[in-house]
Amino acid sequence: MRSPDGAWRWLLRKEWRELMTSPSWWVMFTLAGPLVGLSFISAVRAYGEASGVGGVAGGLADALWPLDGVLVPTLSAYEIIALFLLPFVAIRVVAGDRQSGAAKLELQHPMSSLGRMGAKVLVLFGGWCLAGIPAVMACVLWKIYHGSIYAPEAGTVILGHLLHAGLIIALAAAAASMTEHPSTAAILTLAFTVGTWVLNFVAAVQGGLWERLARYTPSEMLATFQHALLRLNVVLAALAFIAAGLVIAAIWMRLGVAVARRVVESAAVVVVAAAIVFACSFVRADWDSSENRRNSFSEADEETLATIKTPLTIEAHLAPEDPRRFDLEHQTLSKLRRILPDLTVRYVSSTSIGLFEQANAHYGEIWYDLAGRRTMSRITSSEGVLETIYGLAGVLPPKEDEPELHGHPLAARPVGAAPLFYAIWPMAIVGLGFYVKRRKR
Amino acid sequence: MRSFCIWAAVVRLEVKGISKRFGVNRVLRDVSFSINDAEILGLIGPNGAGKTTLFECLAGVLPADQGCVFSNNREVDASQRSSVLFFVPDGIAPWPNQPAQWALQFSLGFWGGRRHLYRDVVNELGLEPFLRMPIGTLSKGQRKRVLLALGLLSPQPILAIDEPFDGLDLRQSREAAAALRNHVSQGRTLFVSIHQIGDAAKICDRFVLLSDGQVAGEGKLEELAALAGERLGQAPPSDFEEVFLALT
Repeated sequence: MRSPDGAWRWLLRKEWRELMTSPSWWVMFTLAGPLVGLSFISAVRAYGEASGVGGVAGGLADALWPLDGVLVPTLSAYEIIALFLLPFVAIRVVAGDRQSGAAKLELQHPMSSLGRMGAKVLVLFGGWCLAGIPAVMACVLWKIYHGSIYAPEAGTVILGHLLHAGLIIALAAAAASMTEHPSTAAILTLAFTVGTWVLNFVAAVQGGLWERLARYTPSEMLATFQHALLRLNVVLAALAFIAAGLVIAAIWMRLGVAVARRVVESAAVVVVAAAIVFACSFVRADWDSSENRRNSFSEADEETLATIKTPLTIEAHLAPEDPRRFDLEHQTLSKLRRILPDLTVRYVSSTSIGLFEQANAHYGEIWYDLAGRRTMSRITSSEGVLETIYGLAGVLPPKEDEPELHGHPLAARPVGAAPLFYAIWPMAIVGLGFYVKRRKR
Repeated sequence: MRSFCIWAAVVRLEVKGISKRFGVNRVLRDVSFSINDAEILGLIGPNGAGKTTLFECLAGVLPADQGCVFSNNREVDASQRSSVLFFVPDGIAPWPNQPAQWALQFSLGFWGGRRHLYRDVVNELGLEPFLRMPIGTLSKGQRKRVLLALGLLSPQPILAIDEPFDGLDLRQSREAAAALRNHVSQGRTLFVSIHQIGDAAKICDRFVLLSDGQVAGEGKLEELAALAGERLGQAPPSDFEEVFLALT
């Protein structure tokens, strides 16, 4: 019998050949160009118009950053690709052997199922990286237009998309391995994806527990990276979910093991993964990789806030769908959580939209409690919240002497992008597909 | 010494008490038999007797509820079964997008098979004309011959084949049978299930008759004929089909 290493290399080679002959992968590869192109062209056009193409930009141009204006919209095409195309590629790679009967042959090698799954995942990851070529093309075009790319924030967004794809691959692999037929696996995977969207919607409306649960959905996780915020707990939780999905897929590949044992092993994996994810929630390390420190207060404010050591509790009487709550959470509290480890935030509301609570005299109040000293304010802006906290803590607000950051407006048009993404790319990929098919024989 | 006289052939694999149930359906019931070295053992039984299930349980690709397998008086766990036995299933089209030639090369690389036999096996089974065609585009008979080649090139001492002649025409069946016989003469042990009683009688050295998930008889043709005669209370039937009908 072949040594495990030699056999694994053969398996890897086989999986790669199978991927290269997989119509679903070629469809994904081909469509990646037009989808990325559509996002890129729309983003560059909107960015250019806001920067002054065909008119006057006014003060808006100074607030334009390529992260929000071009990078995130362009790469968002990969969120669509990962949700609607990648599962079929992954399911085909994982379930194909069982469908064709090859699994019955391959399982007669004493290789571990994790090794088998590893080969499949490595090949899928390689395939996903190849599908990233249109994104590289978009970045090159953006640089040709003299656009700015800040490498740390670009890297963070790319890492988010890689982890997002990893989650989808793990989910699809587990579904494909556990079900008899690929179509069942596809339905399960899409049901899960749509289910997380429903969860996000319910979280936005209901808040509370739903909001906490929604933090673990793939789209919410990706959103963190899209803000150029690299949170270690999110990365670790995503890796735990990916590992759990792949181990479950590996467990169910072992057709020769009794179903009851596979169920018990899968349950154990779920329990371990849940414990790891729970433990990850206590990890607080993060890094604001954005060029304009969008996830952070000014350095002076952060230094001043760091001197406040006592626990702070904020109780906001705002409904989940109230725009003031959105501003408070995203403009201020999310930044505050990174600086004050002993911060507790409670939202209080009896309705989801808050419209019918306006008559309540206490609605809209934000109560601050710092070591027993309490005060109330209704201001939701960063400046107002910080002023209230400084006043409560008895510290002087820092002087704002940091230079104001200016964005990178670019009055450019997406020249050459349409023919490249809509014509040259699809034709090149179709041609490459035929060439590969002929060469494989 | 007495036992040596009875078991003149060296037992390569001993199967004891294999049972398998799908829900309320008991597919295999306490199946026990032995496979001797360098023989062709035929697994014969009517449709639904549990032949394929037995093969899959033996190969470790389907979990058996009970039973064990011994090789050289040592129990071989299901996960280690591939060290002694390679199973070629029936009706599969593995790696359908890959050329037959690549599939054979893959099998040699993956399992570390009998590379020195590659050219002989290709010639014996007449694979040359369609070696470069994807397996998914091959006819049933061509695919069966590729599967037989995969099995013959595998490194394990025992080769179990489910319906080796299914899909082959008369000429191809004869050529395949000759190829199998040739490999047995070189020391390989074969365990095959054969639907056609006539084919089985021509190629197999011994038989295991499986009926309704149970072993109805095991032995050479004359031993089974004697058993059938006993059951019928008359002279042993001379025709294997009669033996089969009497015992199953």
